[in-house]
Amino acid sequence: MLANDKLILALPKGRILNDVMPLVRKAGIEPEAAFNDPDARQLNFATNNPGLEVIRARSIDMATLLSFGAAHFGVAGADVLMEFDSREIYAPLDLKVGYCRMVVAQPEDSAQEDNPARWSHIRVATKYPEITKRHFAERGVQAECIKLNGAIEIAPSLGLCRRIVDLVSTGSTLRANGLVEVEEIATITSRLAVNRTAMKTRPTELTGWIERFREAVHDLPS
Amino acid sequence: MKKTAHPALLPAGLADVLPPNAMQEAKATEDLIHSFATCGYERVKPPLIEFEDTLTSGSGAATADQSFRLMDPVSQRMLAVRADMTIQIARIATTRFPDAPRPLRLSYAGQVLRVKGSTLRPERQFAQVGAELIGSVLPAADAEVILMAHQAITNLGIEDVSIDLGLPTLVPAICEHLGITKSSDVQHLRTILNQKDASAINRFSEPAAQVFGQLLNAVGSATDALRVIKGTSLPLPALRQCEHLEAVVSILRKKAADITLTLDPVEIRGYEYHSGVTFTLFSPKVRGELGRGGRYQLSGYAEAGEQEEATGVTLFVDTIMRSIPAPVPTRRLFALLETPAREIANYRAEGWVVIEALADHSDPAAEARRLGCSHVIQNSAIKNV
Repeated sequence: MLANDKLILALPKGRILNDVMPLVRKAGIEPEAAFNDPDARQLNFATNNPGLEVIRARSIDMATLLSFGAAHFGVAGADVLMEFDSREIYAPLDLKVGYCRMVVAQPEDSAQEDNPARWSHIRVATKYPEITKRHFAERGVQAECIKLNGAIEIAPSLGLCRRIVDLVSTGSTLRANGLVEVEEIATITSRLAVNRTAMKTRPTELTGWIERFREAVHDLPS
Repeated sequence: MKKTAHPALLPAGLADVLPPNAMQEAKATEDLIHSFATCGYERVKPPLIEFEDTLTSGSGAATADQSFRLMDPVSQRMLAVRADMTIQIARIATTRFPDAPRPLRLSYAGQVLRVKGSTLRPERQFAQVGAELIGSVLPAADAEVILMAHQAITNLGIEDVSIDLGLPTLVPAICEHLGITKSSDVQHLRTILNQKDASAINRFSEPAAQVFGQLLNAVGSATDALRVIKGTSLPLPALRQCEHLEAVVSILRKKAADITLTLDPVEIRGYEYHSGVTFTLFSPKVRGELGRGGRYQLSGYAEAGEQEEATGVTLFVDTIMRSIPAPVPTRRLFALLETPAREIANYRAEGWVVIEALADHSDPAAEARRLGCSHVIQNSAIKNV
């Protein structure tokens, strides 16, 4: 991490990128043409700003890249930031895109006869073991987490566990798998997140970018 | 069959430091201690292990959950291995030097052990070098320690070291003033401020949203930040603290105008036991902190019962090692078996590393190269190999 180096902005791959790109452009950042080619093997891209480079990374890796300073700032889901809970990351701006909710869900029939006050230990399938453990520990329940990276909704029907913690946007995946939401843990949006050391050593540049993104969020109707 | 671990495998977070890094670390430690000594800070050496209750009381509570513990078969009491040395120096100041004139200037260097590594420091054992200025409440004392730490690091060849100032007592003072006392509210607010989450602050009720919103905006260059802070309406105790901070900034500006100075009035994490101005040293070349410190209150061992204030700094040798220039390779000289000891001593005094032959060699030049020597002494003269 060198002071006279280019700043590196990390952007998430996949669906969320479509929501984020209008903000990035509005903030005055135009990545080189290859960035818009989904088949490009390249991972880092130049921009119209000679002091700024963009990298594409998986959403779940954002917290890791940002806490180690591999990227100076980036777009990260609140879910990922909560899961990693790193003291090396600041999340100064809510980009108000990628809206969804993190919920506890379980099969419809079991939800009716269940009494959460009796729980001392539960088993939960989730992509977010840390958030899940913290959430249940706060009310005195020990959550044994089964870490899955996808298709979490199928876990209860396979007999892996009775509950899941996952993101929902419309709730159709839950319904299709016979699950009902029993509790909301948090509402999730994408954040502009910044590496702490970068913020301390290059404050002017980074606060400048944060400000431009802030204006972009303000200008674009969500 | 029991599977035995490979003999080279060490427990997580522990490592062998090898040449040339071990030497470089020792040298850096010595240089830092020397820098402090030239400012009148005298070295003390507390033990590695102490009674748990003394090591984890007062400001030691900050590292209580980071300490290894063991039972002392002799006293039948619990002992803790130090996870930080500041508390030990504070103990020495109040118990061994209660009558020494103030301000008291002490320095230290040593290894600490922690139960868990962190994201940026997976090491569980690492070296700390520090200094404490005990018994002064003046802003000049804060400035002295900050500038001394900056100079000590700069002396090692690290450039562009910036200083991030903080005032961890500010947020609690404002909370109290605004009547935010419920522990869940305070906790929530701390989380938001630690993440610098301006959007979440807006969801707080007025006037908290406004005050903390302004403070969040103040994060950045020290001069701008001070202006923003002075524009916020603060309760009296918070105002006093800000005046102290302003005085420190003005001394720093006057004495060393070229240092990059940032200010973060809402940084509280890691400074739970500080009572005044705090600071963190950063280099743009490495991730993580080079060192940190600040003002704190010494827990009262003193019979007088009055609390003493101190301000100190802890430098993290592992982070510093990652940012210092690579060591200059030493000049190595190979001396044949018959070379007189006096001659060898002279070369060593000139700065050569002299490797002595243990037997006769038919091809001294080849043997010299094998041992990493660039030169050989033959017949009282140096020859390039």
